[in-house]
Amino acid sequence: MENLKNTAKYIIDSLLSSGGDLAQASVSEGRVEEFNVDAGEFSLIRSVFNSGASMKVIKDMKKGTAAVNQLDREAIDNAVSECMNAAVTGVYDDALSIAEKEENEDFISGKLSCDKETFFSSLLKFINDVKEQYPEIMLEQVIASYSYGKHVLMNSNGVLFTEEDGSYSVSIMYSAHNEENTTSFNCVGVDYLDPAQDILEAADVRLMLERAVKELESIPFSGKFTGTAVFSPACLCDFVSTITDSFTGDLALIEGTSPWKDSLGKKVADEALCISVIPLSEEIVCGERITADGYKAQNYDIIKNGVLESFSLSEYAARKTGLERAKSTSGCVKVESGDRSLDEIISDIKDGILVCRFSGGEPANNGDFSGVAKNSFLIKDGKLSDPLSETMISGNIAQMLKSIKGISLESVNYGTCIMPYAAFDGITVSGAN
Amino acid sequence: MREYMKKALNSFDTHAELRSQVSRTRRVSIVSGSLVGNSSSVSKGIGARVYNDGVWGFASKSTCDEKSALEVLSSAKENAALLSKGCPKNKGALVTAGAAEYTEKRPYQDVPQKTLVEFSKEVDSYIEKTYPDLTSRHVGLSTGCIEKTLTTTEGSFAYQLFPRTYMIVSMSAETSDGSTVELFDVIGGGEGYFSDHYSDPALTFPAVDSLYSELMAKKEGIFPDAGEALCIIDSSIAGMVAHEAVGHTVEADLVLAGSVAATNLGKEVASPLISLTDFAHTAFGKRAPLPVYVDDEGTLCQDAVIIKDGVLKSYMNNLESVQHFGVSPNGNARAYAFSDEPLIRMRNTAIHPGKDKLEDMIASVDKGYYLTRTQNGQADTTGEFMFGITMGYEIVNGKLGRALRDTTISGVAFNMLKTVDMLSDSVSWDFAGYCGKKQPMAVSMGGPSIRCKVNIGGR
Repeated sequence: MENLKNTAKYIIDSLLSSGGDLAQASVSEGRVEEFNVDAGEFSLIRSVFNSGASMKVIKDMKKGTAAVNQLDREAIDNAVSECMNAAVTGVYDDALSIAEKEENEDFISGKLSCDKETFFSSLLKFINDVKEQYPEIMLEQVIASYSYGKHVLMNSNGVLFTEEDGSYSVSIMYSAHNEENTTSFNCVGVDYLDPAQDILEAADVRLMLERAVKELESIPFSGKFTGTAVFSPACLCDFVSTITDSFTGDLALIEGTSPWKDSLGKKVADEALCISVIPLSEEIVCGERITADGYKAQNYDIIKNGVLESFSLSEYAARKTGLERAKSTSGCVKVESGDRSLDEIISDIKDGILVCRFSGGEPANNGDFSGVAKNSFLIKDGKLSDPLSETMISGNIAQMLKSIKGISLESVNYGTCIMPYAAFDGITVSGAN
Repeated sequence: MREYMKKALNSFDTHAELRSQVSRTRRVSIVSGSLVGNSSSVSKGIGARVYNDGVWGFASKSTCDEKSALEVLSSAKENAALLSKGCPKNKGALVTAGAAEYTEKRPYQDVPQKTLVEFSKEVDSYIEKTYPDLTSRHVGLSTGCIEKTLTTTEGSFAYQLFPRTYMIVSMSAETSDGSTVELFDVIGGGEGYFSDHYSDPALTFPAVDSLYSELMAKKEGIFPDAGEALCIIDSSIAGMVAHEAVGHTVEADLVLAGSVAATNLGKEVASPLISLTDFAHTAFGKRAPLPVYVDDEGTLCQDAVIIKDGVLKSYMNNLESVQHFGVSPNGNARAYAFSDEPLIRMRNTAIHPGKDKLEDMIASVDKGYYLTRTQNGQADTTGEFMFGITMGYEIVNGKLGRALRDTTISGVAFNMLKTVDMLSDSVSWDFAGYCGKKQPMAVSMGGPSIRCKVNIGGR
């Protein structure tokens, strides 16, 4: 860590001595050990040793940034020079800043060394378990990795944070096949700390594979109705990500395109909805400790009981808009569970669809969305019915959040986010005919 | 560098690759007058991949010298041995296509950051002054170059530069119901350096004006009726059909994982009007938008003919998959960063043009849609595809009507391609995109305007 601190200090000193008024540096080193499975068979082990330095300078309220992945003196000097050149040619902006001084701190989390042998054994077990228990499943690609990193963030206001962490993750892309049919692929990813983790039992991996086998009987949907869409935890995670980009994120507020731009402190959703960002929670694997701006990360609420409590703004966007900076820049999001089981929620739905993957265009600024409901099942008269193919759904995210029919008691922890099932009314479901 | 890279591989009796790479980028981003992005980056390193009896080992470091070359080769060899021992496949040696050689003659050309900032500011200033009624505007200018040096145990050597420059302008406006509509366009740019494509900012203004006109039409736009519709997919977005709807399903790694193309080789999968090729470096008699001469396994690149007159002819392959299918490699194995292993990737994938005129195609539709801009697309191994549509028009009695709001089209590729009954006589290319498949990859895609039936989302 001392080498990284020295490099960060050298960058700060160089930027200031070159004429910078304020300077910030982030320096890191790390490694990745990765196992790849393609078409159900191990194909590759990959070892990556990486490093990097990124820097920001503000001169006369003009900003320059530069990044380099080598930490030798020549590479750093070149990057410092580029950074200063960028600032000199920049545009005056009084919203520019660097992080203010807080109490300096060192953060350590997760597993700092890789148990490659145990990790490999757990992957072998997973591959064999799937072959034995779900012979219809094709593991199209599995990427399992251990990532370790150490990181220093320093700036000319006196900020000095260090961070060291390590964790395991697995990303599984799969489909089901028999002699007649092939299902759409689907993906599930989980982060965890135990190299011996039984992957089939992690998050909702087993349930997703079981559903894929059922999808072999899928039929194209015919007709059109407006009803209830139940989003699976992974699918809900994608929609929440859209909300934090298009409704509460930097550009949406700077450009004024967010439909919630004037809604802080107001009700924007059904009171059953609570969305929080929880990087420090023990439920999250190696959550963010230092924000991208250089502050100590904290948990915060975006929506509490349906009321918009905070936007998800960087410090720059906050200063630009006169709003508050978000206390974390991570995507470690939790949607609070409800009080009814998924089965109970489905039993109340006359016409609906369980959407386990959404393949759609970027939603419009106002939240309008349309796309294909992948890996999905029809809900008819309170029961989960046929698996579907070639089915499109459309709606509006802002309206959808006000029309929540239920949030499930069950939730799934993916290590990076925690999501329940959520049912929304007013979704248009249409087929080809 | 060539000498020490070659020397480092001398002791290997199995296929191995050593690739040194420098990736440089410069980016400027102006949002409604604020310079929110003004950055440069350099990423440099060396990676090695070693084959062992059906499996691979890979390793990389962010240093480029002889010592690092030996270290990454050694680590890659260890990884391959570990995997081979744990999961023996007994596939024997990898058969390669022999040695390929290519050396780029044109040197790398940098551009001062100041030039990019000033250019972007002028474009932004024009938009601000000319169109004050916009809700927001965004000008993004990006230039970069990936410099690769590759050696393999078979004696392949390639020194290639992949420069790419483009400017994206987006703008949004408020509608009468208080919501906002947005449009973006890639204005100018392509393979090459900044000075190859841009000089006077004023030359970009006509394209900015067109974008604004379309946005104003979109403000008054309607949502299409959900369901299957007869559509003219404009040539400017036809590449998405080539890339997403078909291209991914014929990547041999996905074929081996059970894609719909696995059971269709040699069969009619499209209208006889359809021919589709993944071009290496020359397409329709011209330099392809993003040419590739030697891939990252050391194979000399050739075109991959995917569909010929409606019949599925071949897949896109790497060295392993050609062994499986008993065909010759065409050089589709590419890696993005020095720390990435080569994967089967598309290069310049396009549907061949037909003989129809676009205006005749539009005139031939009584009720349908003319779709002109897209923003993203996704494919499925089943052949089911989806594109986000950001601009289009209804067609009523052979004439263009009201503009469309954002929507989505979808279909099953081989079903949709069988409905194609008209193709325009000119091809447009999209060169500014990245394909995502474990790693990002710069790709180009193209095609003519297409008359076909697809599912369209409504509201």
